[in-house]
Amino acid sequence: MSGDIAPVPDGQSAFGERYVVDFSAPLTEFTTFGGDAFKASDKERPGKEIYALIHHPTIPMRNDIYRSLKARPVSNVVNPVDRGLMTVDQGGRRQRLVTIFERPSGGALFGPDGRVNPRVNTNRLRQSVVLSALKAVAALHKRGFTHRSILPTNMYFVSNDSEEVCLGECYSAPPGYKQPFALETLEVALAHETARGNGDASCDFYQLGAALQSLYFGEQLWRGRDRDSMLMARINQGSFWALGGGRDIPGALGTLVRGLMADELEERWSAEDVLDWFEGVGKPKRTSMRAWSMNRPTNFKGVAYVDRRLLADAFARDPREAANFLKSLDFPAWVQLSFRDEILTERLEQVLKVSTDSGLGGTRPDDYKMVTRVCMFMHPTGPIHYKGYSLILDGLPSMVTDAFARDDRDLLGIILEILDERFLNALGEICSERNPKFLGQVREVRPFIPLAGSKQLGRGMERVLYGLNPILPCISQRFSNVWIGSIKQMMRALDRLSATGGAKNILLDRHVAAFCAAHGTDLEREFNKLAAAQNDPARFNSLSAEFFGMLQRRFKLESLPHLTEKLVEGLTPAVKGLRNKKRRERVQQLLEKVKKGGDISKLTSEVNMVRIQAEDAREFAQARSAIMKLEKEKTRFSRKVLPTDTDARNRGLRGSRWVAFAAMALIGFMTFFPGG
Amino acid sequence: MAKKPMKMRRRRPQQEMNGFLPLLFIALVALALFSWQVSVLFLVGLAPSLVLGVTGKGVHKTEKLQCVGFSNIAGIIPFAMQVWSRPRDFSMIVSDPINLVAMFGSAAIGYALIYVGPMVAAQILQVMAQDKLKTIAQQRQALLELWGPEVLGDPGSEGDEPAWAQGKRGGRT
Repeated sequence: MSGDIAPVPDGQSAFGERYVVDFSAPLTEFTTFGGDAFKASDKERPGKEIYALIHHPTIPMRNDIYRSLKARPVSNVVNPVDRGLMTVDQGGRRQRLVTIFERPSGGALFGPDGRVNPRVNTNRLRQSVVLSALKAVAALHKRGFTHRSILPTNMYFVSNDSEEVCLGECYSAPPGYKQPFALETLEVALAHETARGNGDASCDFYQLGAALQSLYFGEQLWRGRDRDSMLMARINQGSFWALGGGRDIPGALGTLVRGLMADELEERWSAEDVLDWFEGVGKPKRTSMRAWSMNRPTNFKGVAYVDRRLLADAFARDPREAANFLKSLDFPAWVQLSFRDEILTERLEQVLKVSTDSGLGGTRPDDYKMVTRVCMFMHPTGPIHYKGYSLILDGLPSMVTDAFARDDRDLLGIILEILDERFLNALGEICSERNPKFLGQVREVRPFIPLAGSKQLGRGMERVLYGLNPILPCISQRFSNVWIGSIKQMMRALDRLSATGGAKNILLDRHVAAFCAAHGTDLEREFNKLAAAQNDPARFNSLSAEFFGMLQRRFKLESLPHLTEKLVEGLTPAVKGLRNKKRRERVQQLLEKVKKGGDISKLTSEVNMVRIQAEDAREFAQARSAIMKLEKEKTRFSRKVLPTDTDARNRGLRGSRWVAFAAMALIGFMTFFPGG
Repeated sequence: MAKKPMKMRRRRPQQEMNGFLPLLFIALVALALFSWQVSVLFLVGLAPSLVLGVTGKGVHKTEKLQCVGFSNIAGIIPFAMQVWSRPRDFSMIVSDPINLVAMFGSAAIGYALIYVGPMVAAQILQVMAQDKLKTIAQQRQALLELWGPEVLGDPGSEGDEPAWAQGKRGGRT
């Protein structure tokens, strides 16, 4: 199998030569879900405090944040310095993307060992931590980004003697990726931990509030809390009280944290509110429990629900039971009685399409979608709940990536079912009034809907994966040791793979095909042709050579001798399949010549196998018909010709007539001109 | 009402328009205006052709009639010249059996040509067929050398590599 995995390139890249990563010194406080952090040093600037993050290939990064922070660093945030591919030796040699970050040397506010930094106290929290975090968050928001990773464990003192605090990096993993349930706002916390979406500025302020609360109490408040009971407590008592376990924070800091952790968006504090608070001029906002409650409780599975978000969540946890429950209801009457502030229009009723029990028993496939629609109706600002999974639609890229990383085919099937235009439009219609962002999120995924269900090469869920995550490297098993972030890198890796005897039928690898389709433009036609030739190895190899030649030409790649050799070898059956002996010899000679050059584009321009095969087949058919014609003629001419044969008789009689005529003319001439 | 089965109207084979006899008749009438003796001589001498014209049938009727007619006319022409120059000898020439044998004999030669013509044509065609066969064999061989035995459509020799390319001897050549 090792022959099927692309080998790591020899030597180290220029980036790898410059930065030295000390793998014996892991930095757990900087390790994220996106990568492992290690102590590092820069050969060009030896004194600079930096650390290296070795990225995991199955976690997509936030590339736009990297570009922005690299170009214009933000104060009070751990900024990236540089990034590049490096050959690392971590359980075997591997090529990985490594990002170098500035390293705050003052230590994390909340250490990985679960202890609060001894320098943290209420005064520092109120004065320096809040201001530093506010500066960082405001700068990011100004650039259109959210941080979504403001955890006490991801906040650091800039140095041992500095009061300044900086937020840890937020680019190595998608926003809100696998963040603790308690540290996310209720809108996004209900979604699956890998699909919480981009969120907005208020999510960051909530996280800041929750982080301050944890730091104040000196406890990891998010740890050891059951999700369902935590949700129940957050909804019934408010997140601040639920997370603090009923403990208040006295004074101004308490006002701030309560404001930041308000569950209602309209009540949650923004940057201006925090500034006002800091300057002592703002009026403290009161937090209230805004009514998500129904007019009368609904009993579902023996529990009486009053909050519609809780009921939606309960439906989402058990969609089969929820479907049966909804089918047994007189839905319009139930809505009228339970949601008096909602007007169930005829149109909305049609969109919700809650069917009554047909009495046939069992759950129909559309019942799950019915439950989703009703959940969206009950909690329009919440996630899409479908078949036990919940997702914010703009968190779909990271969810698809996670499903592929875990090879979770069930989840991929569920995502495929969600990617149904009519279904998403119906959800949009249900929630658009209270969640206007939803339709924009649907617009983002719409181009991938027709591709998702396709079995063709270059399409399917793999294409959705690379289309939604352009920064994700190709996660094909063949490239498990190398980092393939572009078609150029892929072609070079394929060249190395060919040298070790792999790369056979590489384009049949759905990941490779989808990656090429997502990163190249106008490759649809090529993939359609390749898909059509899947069962014809000779034609498939010819088309593969043509495809790689086109890529080499388009991306102006250098000579790829091993890949060319492999492709030429792949063409051997096609050459052997040529029936014309002279053509076969000529093509073989051309291939041998091109093989030495390593230019795939030349291979296809000089030896256009597809055209040659078509020409050969056409001429062979012509030769076959010529042979058949010759056989027929041979049979005809081999027969003995008899005077009674029509042809012989016709020609004979015509000849006789001319002889008689000639005799008559001769005798007449001699008679009339005897002397002449 | 059941329709009567439509009978295929049998088309009479178009009779080969034999222009020879009417043309001959017109020529004889025209000739009679200048010399009725010559015209009568032709009428008597062409008796075998006239009989064939009236009784002859089949696809090659025209060729046969023309063949016999031309031969017959060739036999009459010398006597017609005599009658034209000396019309008084008409009765003597017509009543001489030798002359009649000569005129009718020429018609017999026409009949002989009808019999011999196809035989000679068959011989010539046979020789031509032999030449054609040689050419066909050469063309076939050239195609075989270029495309291998697969071009013959022999299913046993079809495969990734043609049998002849593998050094095997083809089943058919």
